[in-house]
Amino acid sequence: MTLEGKTAFITGTNRGLGRAFVEVFAANRANVIAHARKETPEFREFLNDIAQKNSVTITPVFFDMTDSAAMRSVVRSIVMAKTPVNILINSAGVAHGGLFQMTSMEKIHEVFVVNLFAHMELTQQLLRYMMRFPHGSIVNIASISGLDLKKGNCAYGVSKAALIAFTKTLAAEVAQSGLRVNAVCPGLADTDMANLMEAKAGAEMIARSAMNRLGQPREIAEVVAFLASDAASFVNGQIISVDGGRA
Amino acid sequence: MTNIEKYTQAFVNAFGVDAESAKALKYQDIPAWDSVGHMGLIAQLEEQFGIMMEPDDIVDLSSFEKGKDILATKYGVEF
Ligand SMILES: NC(=O)c1ccc[n+]([C@@H]2O[C@H](COP(=O)([O-])OP(=O)(O)OC[C@H]3O[C@@H](n4cnc5c(N)ncnc54)[C@H](OP(=O)(O)O)[C@@H]3O)[C@@H](O)[C@H]2O)c1
Repeated sequence: MTLEGKTAFITGTNRGLGRAFVEVFAANRANVIAHARKETPEFREFLNDIAQKNSVTITPVFFDMTDSAAMRSVVRSIVMAKTPVNILINSAGVAHGGLFQMTSMEKIHEVFVVNLFAHMELTQQLLRYMMRFPHGSIVNIASISGLDLKKGNCAYGVSKAALIAFTKTLAAEVAQSGLRVNAVCPGLADTDMANLMEAKAGAEMIARSAMNRLGQPREIAEVVAFLASDAASFVNGQIISVDGGRA
Repeated sequence: MTNIEKYTQAFVNAFGVDAESAKALKYQDIPAWDSVGHMGLIAQLEEQFGIMMEPDDIVDLSSFEKGKDILATKYGVEF
């Protein structure tokens, strides 16, 4: 599998899964537009190292996913510079757990804005531009929490279920324009998001995985890179769990 | 190419019609100008004029003439 000659726009790349996506995409020879909320020297250094090691171009872009104007201005500058975008990985996300009756509507809005609406907005802004380039692919990072809806998941799980539904709808809408749209549903993976989870809830999620362990970010990233590549050229509208199987 | 030629060409490319018939076209007048064809037209216009159209304007672009109007008033394209 190679991503040579392709440019991938990846959100939330300063840590966690997004960081692993940059590493794996660059190792597969993709150029990357690496999004983060803010610029830091560590992030710059990380991107420079990866770019040098793999002889690819990595361009950082910065905006808060909830700031439509900032997002639009970044997209506009990419379009004006005619930087190709073949791949979009919607990964930035926020976690939340709690019973519905103990979750404010403000919190539910907040989770939906980052986990769903911001992805829809970025996708809408980039979509027609991506259609100008061949073999486009969008991969939305959902979650098994969006498939396996349990108590305490009224905000996070429901936002991911909506992202899964959006993936299927969009896949049907844009297939004839040469774009594929799929979603990956990671099980619990070894990032800040998992590590900040309540211990009992984390242990329960791990126990539900047949492999009975956390996933490593690279294990998720390899599947995302496959879906983004031409090796998956007939895979569209699919929701792929990467969770070690269900126990 | 002048702007009106570029604009007409977008219709020709998107719907496979000749330039003369393009000028009288309205949304859904011909099978090619359905919702999928419409998105193809918008992609052509955005590429030709280096613009990014807002969803409301995409919906409002319901005829060849209306599209000229929108591009002129909202996106600074001079015809
Ligand atoms: N780790 C898991 O177990 C797991 C399981 C299933 C699904 N997922 C999904 O995988 C994706 C990545 O998760 P992760 O584990 O990498 O999480 P993480 O380590 O918590 O990282 C989240 C990333 O999203 C960014 N982000 C969040 N809100 C943002 C905002 N408003 N504007 C800009 N950036 C924002 C963060 O930026 P900052 O550093 O600036 O906050 C960070 O880069 C998420 O969509 C998550 O739901 C994760």
